[in-house]
Amino acid sequence: MGTNRGMPILPVSAYTSQEWFDREQERIFSRTWAFAGFAEDITEPGQYISVQAGLNNIFVVMGRDRRLRAFHNICRHRGTQLLRAVGQTQRAIVCPYHDWTYDLEGCLISVPAQEREFPELDLSKITLRRASTDLWRGMLWVHPDENAGSIMQWFGDVEPFLGPHKVEELVEYKEGRTEYDVRANWKIVVENYIDGYHLAHLHSGTLAMYDHSRIKAEFIGPHYAFWEPLSADYAENLEKNAPYPLVIPTEQAGAWVPMLFPGIGLGESESSWSLFHVTPLAPDLTRVVIRTRVADVSSWEFTRQSFRSFGFWSKRIGGKYEGDGDDPMASGDFTKEDIYACEQQQRSLKSPYFVHGPSSVEGEAGVRGHQELVRDWVGDG
Amino acid sequence: MGDGFHQLRVLDTCAVTEQATSFRFAVPTGLSGAFRWLAGQHLTLRFWIDGVEVRRSYSISETPSSGDPLRITVKRVEGGLVSNHINDRITAGDIVDVMPPFGGFCLEPEPKGRRTYYFFGAGSGITPLYAMIRTILVAEPYSVAYLAYGNANADSIIFREPLVDLENQTEGRLVVRHVLTSPSWMSSFSYWRRGRIDAEAIAAFIDEHPPYAQDAQYYVCGPGGMNTTVRAALQGLGVPDTRIHTESYGASEPPDDSVNGITATTSVRLNGASLVVPISAGQAVLDAVRASGANPPYSCESGVCGACRAHLRNGKVHLRARMALTDSDVERGIILTCQALPTTPQLAVEYD
Ligand code: FES
Ligand code: FES
Ligand SMILES: [Fe+2]
Repeated sequence: MGTNRGMPILPVSAYTSQEWFDREQERIFSRTWAFAGFAEDITEPGQYISVQAGLNNIFVVMGRDRRLRAFHNICRHRGTQLLRAVGQTQRAIVCPYHDWTYDLEGCLISVPAQEREFPELDLSKITLRRASTDLWRGMLWVHPDENAGSIMQWFGDVEPFLGPHKVEELVEYKEGRTEYDVRANWKIVVENYIDGYHLAHLHSGTLAMYDHSRIKAEFIGPHYAFWEPLSADYAENLEKNAPYPLVIPTEQAGAWVPMLFPGIGLGESESSWSLFHVTPLAPDLTRVVIRTRVADVSSWEFTRQSFRSFGFWSKRIGGKYEGDGDDPMASGDFTKEDIYACEQQQRSLKSPYFVHGPSSVEGEAGVRGHQELVRDWVGDG
Repeated sequence: MGDGFHQLRVLDTCAVTEQATSFRFAVPTGLSGAFRWLAGQHLTLRFWIDGVEVRRSYSISETPSSGDPLRITVKRVEGGLVSNHINDRITAGDIVDVMPPFGGFCLEPEPKGRRTYYFFGAGSGITPLYAMIRTILVAEPYSVAYLAYGNANADSIIFREPLVDLENQTEGRLVVRHVLTSPSWMSSFSYWRRGRIDAEAIAAFIDEHPPYAQDAQYYVCGPGGMNTTVRAALQGLGVPDTRIHTESYGASEPPDDSVNGITATTSVRLNGASLVVPISAGQAVLDAVRASGANPPYSCESGVCGACRAHLRNGKVHLRARMALTDSDVERGIILTCQALPTTPQLAVEYD
């Protein structure tokens, strides 16, 4: 095996073929808990959202008892989607096509012209297909199976490896929401996220505030837990040097950067909390949505903090290479650096000369682990 | 003993309010299997008072998940034969006849479960709820509990201090809100609302404490009327029936004695045999069948356990209590023979 460490675990086609993509959609993304939003997206009875989670479209609505219900967004008549992205409904859900009407428990309660058109139909036998929903860590989750069980069966074991952040007490910095369509397979994006080896190199100019030599990382079930401490000079005067007001106690400062399965990365740091949500769109196209939450303090506090820390950061952040602003490698933005690396990697997969090279002992252990995980979930049939 | 009862020794007793006392029992190792319980279940106790055998059921007020001893908490009922006997006479070291735990109003913890529990209790209805709350706090670490607890005044609140301690020890996993019908002017006790746990209080309670864990479950235990009110209020908010669990509290609920039974005759089908049994005025069907020498099933004799169920095939009866029956049982003609007084001279009763 040598320095190969069992690579390749997945064939090149796993990153390029429609067939692999379809199998992953069905066997991974349509059978796991999926991120659907934040707790504050639904706060009032009647409010709903709908999300695409793998092959399933699921909507979540709040009842008058303030409990969320989740259903597959499929009318039991001829399958029309019942609800659009977001909105408000009262006590009933009406299909736009023929006005079949369901209550908030998903029971069919009325059918137009029932006596003439459906004289034999027993309404009580027809209900929307139920799904599961829950809140965890300030996030709203959906699962296509109504008997998915407790969300803690899925996330409970990894929770102790996450940051001390009280996510629901932080507020979303809406202007900070960014969306990228990355021309690479979703697994390349995830592998990049959990690759500890690249941090000191690709991001030599952008992530120097963390001490990459003291990373702790391991798979907890299907989830990859990852933590690293602050670098010494940053930690020394953290209160002054943090770019934003702190969100956790100084003595606990550090970065928790787990990758929850499948493709839900968190970036939980001393001064912000962010979500890195990976959605496969095609074998070679992946959407990444980044949403950030920060301390719930006045904008004046933010201004003051960025003033205080300006001197520190201006010396430390910069591109890996010199170049103009359009060059990701000169941008001084670590996300752009990552995307650049992912896209370059994807392009090489098409070359007949491509073969997997050796894989590093520690820094790339997570990459191998993720490939094994995907292989196990997708199976070979 | 062959009749289902076992002799248990009272470990100790503890007055929890002026009117209520807790009794803890020692369960010998050989019986620990039989006396394994679920939070929310009851024990049936048997006493001879003035030469007459009486049985009552009381909810177990301790969690099975902490290793603490089996415990019941008994509140005096005004004029109540058994509750006063227990409070006045039973002390540590006494031997009491106790039947193993039973009852379907219960909560089984799931270590990885994550639920929001809403508890609505009044008076001694707290006893099973307290066992459930302790169970969640001990054995279901991801779940949280909200309790709305109704009482006359601050002094009649059972487990007032233990509830405060639990609230303080569990970092927001338990919230207790007191609702008092007649709070005393002299008391400095701070309560949440004045009045009863009615539709308005319930809506406000859920509004103030919306579920975070979305698997919400609702447990109600109070005197009969309260359960109906709470259930209706929850249904009014769209809570599905499958999530609502109710129980009227057994021995403490005053039985409906507004109707006197008349002298009657009943035919009885029991274990494949048929017999005809006379019932004297005021006598319950169960007592008449037992007096005839037959061996009908029964346990609590207070309408709680349902062991004495039978089908009424003919005639009419008045049920003094019917906690063990659902509405659909009643529609199907099921009666609790221990609570059934004839109101027509001819009955026909059939046991399963
Ligand atoms: S498809 Fe929904 S009513 Fe016909
Ligand atoms: S004996 Fe328990 S209900 Fe009749
Ligand atoms: Fe990176």
